[in-house]
This record gives sequence, C-alpha cells and structure tokens, in this order.
Amino acid sequence: MKNLAVVRRTALVLAPLIALMGLAGCSSTADAGTSDGGADSAGAWSYTDDAGTTVTLDHEPERVASYSDYAIGLMSYGIDPVAVFGRADVATDARFADYDLSDTAIVGNSYGEIDLEALAETAPDLIVTGIYPTDREGTLDTEGAYYGVADVEQQAQLEKIAPVVAIEVGGAGSDVIDSMNRLASSLGVSDDTIAAAKTDFDAAAADLTAAAGESGLEVTQLYADADGVYVVKPADEPETELYRSLGVDFTDLNPDGYYYWDIYSWENAAQMMTGDVLLINVQGYGEADLLAQPTFASHPALQAGQAYAWDGAALDYASQAAHMKELADILRESKKL
Amino acid sequence: MPRSVATSSRRALVLVVLGLGVLVMTVVSLMLGSNLLGVGTVLTGLFDPSQDVGSVVWGSRVPRTVLGLFVGFCLGIAGAVMQGQTRNPLADPGIFGVSAGASLAVVIGVYVLGTSSITTTLWLALAGAAVASVVVFGVAALGRGLSSPVPLAIAGTAVSALLIALTSYLVLSDETTLAAYRIWVVGSLSGRTLDGVDAALLFAVAGLVFAAANIRSLNNLALGTELAHGLGENLLRARLVGLAAITLLTASAVAITGPIGFIGLTAPHIGRSLVGGDHYWLLPASGLIGASLLLACDVIGRLIGGNAEVSVGVVLTVLGGIVFIAIVRRGRIAAL
Repeated sequence: MKNLAVVRRTALVLAPLIALMGLAGCSSTADAGTSDGGADSAGAWSYTDDAGTTVTLDHEPERVASYSDYAIGLMSYGIDPVAVFGRADVATDARFADYDLSDTAIVGNSYGEIDLEALAETAPDLIVTGIYPTDREGTLDTEGAYYGVADVEQQAQLEKIAPVVAIEVGGAGSDVIDSMNRLASSLGVSDDTIAAAKTDFDAAAADLTAAAGESGLEVTQLYADADGVYVVKPADEPETELYRSLGVDFTDLNPDGYYYWDIYSWENAAQMMTGDVLLINVQGYGEADLLAQPTFASHPALQAGQAYAWDGAALDYASQAAHMKELADILRESKKL
Repeated sequence: MPRSVATSSRRALVLVVLGLGVLVMTVVSLMLGSNLLGVGTVLTGLFDPSQDVGSVVWGSRVPRTVLGLFVGFCLGIAGAVMQGQTRNPLADPGIFGVSAGASLAVVIGVYVLGTSSITTTLWLALAGAAVASVVVFGVAALGRGLSSPVPLAIAGTAVSALLIALTSYLVLSDETTLAAYRIWVVGSLSGRTLDGVDAALLFAVAGLVFAAANIRSLNNLALGTELAHGLGENLLRARLVGLAAITLLTASAVAITGPIGFIGLTAPHIGRSLVGGDHYWLLPASGLIGASLLLACDVIGRLIGGNAEVSVGVVLTVLGGIVFIAIVRRGRIAAL
C-alpha cells in the first residue's frame, strides 16, 4: 500500500508533464454533445457521449448501471440504476442518504474494483461512467480508461456487458450539469421534470449570489496532508467554476501553471493565507490537524473558526442546489477578516 | 574476538567521518528548504524564536531535522540487525510484520476509537508492531523453526499478509478511516511535529540496548546457525533479543513518521562496504548512514519541488534504488 501512495505522489509530480505531452500529441478535442440522443419513432435509441462515442440500441435503455457520482444525478430524476459502483462504500455514502438503494445492486465499493459477475447479473442496457480532462484546455484521453474504471482491460470487460458512456467532468460546472441532463433526457426524463429541478437550482444559485455579494468573503478551497496545502484553482474544478460564475470569490493566486491545484509545502503555507473562509477537503487533514501545523496554525480563517469540512457534490441540479445552500449558509455565518 | 589494531582504528576513523557527515547533514537540513530563507534568517529564527517568521524554522526545519536523525538512525540499525538475523541481504524491518502490525493498529484506532491524534497513533503503532512481531515469533517458534531464519521470514510474510488484508478491509469499509490511514501510511518527515517523540525515544533507547546486546550473537549467526550453536550461542535468546531490538526501533520510528522504506535496506549495505561485516562496527555505522541518508533525501525532495516538495519516500525510492544497484554491482553483498 506504501507503493500505491508513492505512485500517487509520483503521478502528482508527473501530471503536468503528462498533460503537456497530451497537449502536444492530441489537439483534437472530441466534438461531442451535439446530438441530444433518445429514441426515434421506431424505438431505436442513440446517444453520443462527451467522449464522442455513439451508442445505438434497438430500444431505450431501461436498466442503467452507473458509477456513484452519476447515479446520484440519475436518481434525482427518478431513474433508479440497477447497479452502482463507487469509489468508497456505497451503502454508507451520505450522498445517497435521501435515496432508496434497496433495489439497486452495489457492485463496487472501492475505486476500480467492480464485481463484473454481479454487474452482468443485473443485465444493464447501459453503463454510465465519467471522463476528466487531462489539462486546462479540456483534452480528453479517450484511449485511456474512463473515470470509475480501473484500466482499459476492465473497461473492455464492461463493454462486453453493456455499452459504456462517459460524462465529461471538466471545464464549466454548468456544462457538466447540462451533460447530465442530456443523458437523463435521452433516458426518458421529461423536460418538465428537468425544468422543475432547474427551478430549485436557480433559486439556490440566486441565494448563493446574494450571500456572496453581502459577505464579500474570499473562500479558499484546499486539501492538505503531510506534504502541504493543495489550493484548488477555481477555474479548473467545475464546481468552483460554477460558484465563481455565481459570484463567489475564490482564492486564485496563480491561475496559470499547474492544472487543477497549486501545492504549497508547509514551509510555504504563508503564501496562500489570503482567504476568509477555508473549505477543507474531507479526505485530508481536518481542522485539528491544521491547527497542529506550526506554519499554518496562524491562518486568520483557522483562528477565527471559519474552517469547514468540505467535499465536492455530484454535478446535477438537485445535488448542487443542496450544496450551494450549504455554502451560502457558511458565507452568511462567516465574517470578513 | 580479537581485532587487529590497524583495522579497528581505520573503522573508528570511518565512524568519526560518518558522525561528521551526520553533523553536516543536520546543518544542511536546517538551512535548506522549499522556502528559500537566507542563512542569516535561519540563524536569527533558530536562536530567537520570536524572530522566526511564520514558524518556518521551529515549526518545520527543526522538527523534520530531529525526526530525520531519529528515524534514520533507528531504521539503519534495525535494518542491520534484521539482515544479520535473517542473513538475508534483502531483509527489511517490515519482514517481521512490524509495519503491517503498526498500520493495522493505527487503522483500528481510527475505526473504533475515532481518533487520529499523534500520541494515540504512536501508542497504537507501538502496540500493533509489538503484537505482530510476538505473533510472528510465536508462529516460528511453535514450528521449532528458530534455528533457520527462513521460518521466521515466512511467518512474518504470512502474518503481514493477514494484517494487510484486515487493514484493507477496515479501510475500505469506512471512508474516514481510509482518509486517516492514507495520511499516515505515506512515510514523511514533512508535516510531522515533535509531539510524542519523547515517548518514541524511550522505546528507541530500549531497542538500542537490545541491539547492542545482540551484537555478539549477530556475529556468531553470521557464521551459520550450526556453527553459532557450536560456539555456545543460545538461538532462542539470540532471536528474542534481536526481534525485540527490531520491533522497538522500527515501531518507534514508524509510529511518528509512518512507514519509511529503503533506509533499513540500504544503510546496512553501505555500512558493510565501509566497515565490513563485524556488527560491533556495522550497527553504529548503519545508524549514522541511515540518519545522513534520510536527511539528504529529504533535503533533495524539498529543493526540487518548487513551492511544493517531493516526498522523501519518492526520493528514497529513486536514489536508494540507484545506490542499491551500485552496491549489488560491486558484489559487496557477498560479505553477508
């Protein structure tokens, strides 16, 4: 397991390099998402996903299997997947708290570990995964495995069970939500249902804009571990991009350079202490750990108790409406430092 | 065992040089970091903590230097005892299940008690390491397999596998536990504080005493178990003392910084090429080399990452690997 961790670190260091190589080698960004997909009069169904793959079936898929992040969006529209696989234990995943998973087979509780036999048993018509761009320009590595899948071998196994489509999670947050809606719509969700979800979303968005305007706070979204502080670049993460477009002021000290985030070693932590509110990724150091770091404990937001455990929500109207309400509450209860 | 005066003084000289190397690395480690402070700023901060802007010197440089010295020294010696006990040049302190036991205990702590405080982690890691090595030792001893190091290594590997499986099970069933475990399992000198180092020091000193007491046995074991037995060596006692040394030294190191590989493997090899196979010289040499090596790799990692740093584990894997290949190529491994 040590090795895994080392690989992760190495990957982190190499990521910009790989991104550069990807940029040089692949300039064709798939022109996906033009077709809305759906069933024609004869009942045949066709859908072109964000990676440019067109799936054609002789009927609209009724039995959908999905990676957890996208299953939540589908369930918010009343599409109950026949199977779900996740990055962590699905049964205890708080994001599913409002949904009934009793008729859904949980076929994976750890990233890349999918019980293919159990999945095949649910006889899905379609499998939903994701794809993340490898750089700021939105380059998609369509040769590699999709997000939620261990590797191309496993993906080939999945494709033997059912066609696999991917939602692109990158760029503008609203684009990701649109992609989710486009898939839902092709799976038979009515325009009215989507419009109703949008009404709630728009209300929460307007409230977030109001809260951001009233408070005028700078928000730092970060992950921290023994290596230091990782500050998320708001333009590179779809969720922060969405909130920023709604008026939330995120710490953005170095918009260029490395993709997704800048890493500050603990010695250099003072360079990023501009925020009034800290949103701390739940997978790393928590508030107490940060207070124990001598070079970080003096962070004004930490001292003021304006540090919050935070995790990205699924990119669909319902999840985002709830998440934006949380952020608006945080902004309202925090003060300018 | 008679030693020729000439070789002894040469070896003593090597130890002195290695000791000076540690001193130099200590100064270098205090001076250099990813925050490029001038020498003057570091010295001012060092001698007057109120002038230590952002706590960089006392909050980062000092703790990681102290931990580097401590952990490198412990792991270097533990590795030398380990390789002597098993007569296996590839043995690493992890083989007796020590790291796996510590990991499982830490995970249980988070899972059951919901705590990941440094002192609790320390005690849990120590307890887990101790329990694991006692189990390994017990399994090997039950099979009356103490004369050969092979049963110990096999028992260690088997018990490690079991402990790792249990760890994975707990980690995968609870995301909070996974997060806490992931942070701990990356062996790092960065982001660690000196909390709990006093307790770890006690265990390490006990480990050093056991290691020192094991020196004669290690030299006898190097001749082969049959011959060692013939020389009046009590194998059970020799193994027990060695195991205690390895467990205490590794656990106290691992508990604070998380598992750090390669030091325990590489330091004794470098030591052997400098002072030979006599454990009287090899143990201190391995400790000093371990301390210098760990600090050197940490400093390199601090300097090549820009505002960030490259984790000492990555640097160790790359550099340690190269050093190791060089040693293997020179054929010094035959000295075991």
